[in-house]
Amino acid sequence: MQRIWDHGGTLTVRDLFEELRAERNIAYTTVMSTMDNLYRKGWLARERDGKAYRYAPVATREEYSARLMREAMAEAGDTEAVLSHFVAQMDGPESAALRAVIDKLAGGRP
Amino acid sequence: MITALALLGYAACAAWWAPALLAPLTRRGASVRAGLAAWLAAMASVLVSAAVAIESSFRTVAADWPQLTQALCRSVAGGACTPAVYRSALYEGGVTALAATLALLSAVALWRYGRRVQRSRAQTRSHARTALLVGRALTDPASGIAGARAVMLDDPRPAAYCVAGRPAAIVVTSGALTVLDPPQLRAVLAHERAHLAHGHHVLATVTRALAAALPVPLFTRGAAEVARLAEMSADDTAARANGRPPLAAALIAIATGARYPSTRIAGAGHLGAGHPGPDYPDAGHPGAGHPGAGYQGTGHLSTSLPRGALAATACAVPDRVERLLRPASRASRTACTLALTLTLTALAAAPPALTLLAAR
Repeated sequence: MQRIWDHGGTLTVRDLFEELRAERNIAYTTVMSTMDNLYRKGWLARERDGKAYRYAPVATREEYSARLMREAMAEAGDTEAVLSHFVAQMDGPESAALRAVIDKLAGGRP
Repeated sequence: MITALALLGYAACAAWWAPALLAPLTRRGASVRAGLAAWLAAMASVLVSAAVAIESSFRTVAADWPQLTQALCRSVAGGACTPAVYRSALYEGGVTALAATLALLSAVALWRYGRRVQRSRAQTRSHARTALLVGRALTDPASGIAGARAVMLDDPRPAAYCVAGRPAAIVVTSGALTVLDPPQLRAVLAHERAHLAHGHHVLATVTRALAAALPVPLFTRGAAEVARLAEMSADDTAARANGRPPLAAALIAIATGARYPSTRIAGAGHLGAGHPGPDYPDAGHPGAGHPGAGYQGTGHLSTSLPRGALAATACAVPDRVERLLRPASRASRTACTLALTLTLTALAAAPPALTLLAAR
């Protein structure tokens, strides 16, 4: 998937296979079945082009990324996914207040 | 019927008042494990009592059913309809109505709970899958990551979170990477791995679904408190592995969205940089209950912040930073654990004790 996004535009199984083979020993059928899997899971769209399929990502990496972040940043209630955030973000005045007090706490001891 | 009423009364009291008892004891995370156990025991105790009460009221109705129908029949037929029979019919009718209501309520609650758990599990897994495919692999600055895979997503807002799934994912935004130095990033990753290793997502799923199905104080407040304690528990694990200063600094950096050097707090007090202090042998029970002996406490960090300056969700940050910077003394930790263990025992013993007393 990373490859297909980096490639941009549409590509056939043959295109990707040639690209990958330059780097490592990989079977054509492996690439084909992987791309077929991604198509069936809704990550890739494909259209027939002669004998082969031409594949293209359904959405860009940025679109998926944005969707994930929307889900992650949504206040509870919007999403039911269980995400354990490291820490919630604060806004400007809150941040300033926290920093001031922590600096006092850290610096003000013998 | 007496048993059922006693248990139901207990369940209602505990559901409304247990939070008031538990919240002050677990607030500062002086005893994380005992705190988690106490909250979960309170929830289990209420659920079991309510279930037993409902089951027992059902049995009462079933046993008295012939009597009830006979009484109804007589009252319709007139004839032998004495006031005593009439009153009895009213009583039986009331019992039946109560049992039916309870059955309906519990069915609705169960259904809502199940649907909620299922939906949240599906969304969580799909989020993890997508994150792993979309994110760029993040290589741990020090070593390879065992277990969950960590990925980086492009987003200017600093954030880090983990999401359970098969496999699980740890997501760090590019915004977070710009405000963290390598030891701090290691601390963040250790914190998230601790969540996954300890199965905190299961606790979150169950308690949040309970809160959605039965929105009474014990469950709504309990879900929030369990989440807070899980954060503190993960903090403890991460602090044990990498030391407290980088973790505390990482908390501040991500919360405020600006770099915060670990050395700024590493020099504070007795904190040794990079390794747990000598007074931190039992990482299961650290924290700050009260500023113990030897601390020149200037009041709690969270209370010295201006009231209302912090949103509810952000309130955990000062508490967590404070317990990393100023862990409680051993004595106050022990006291807190003891109090929580007593509470836990009382909560666990209440339903069987009530059943025995009422059955006499």
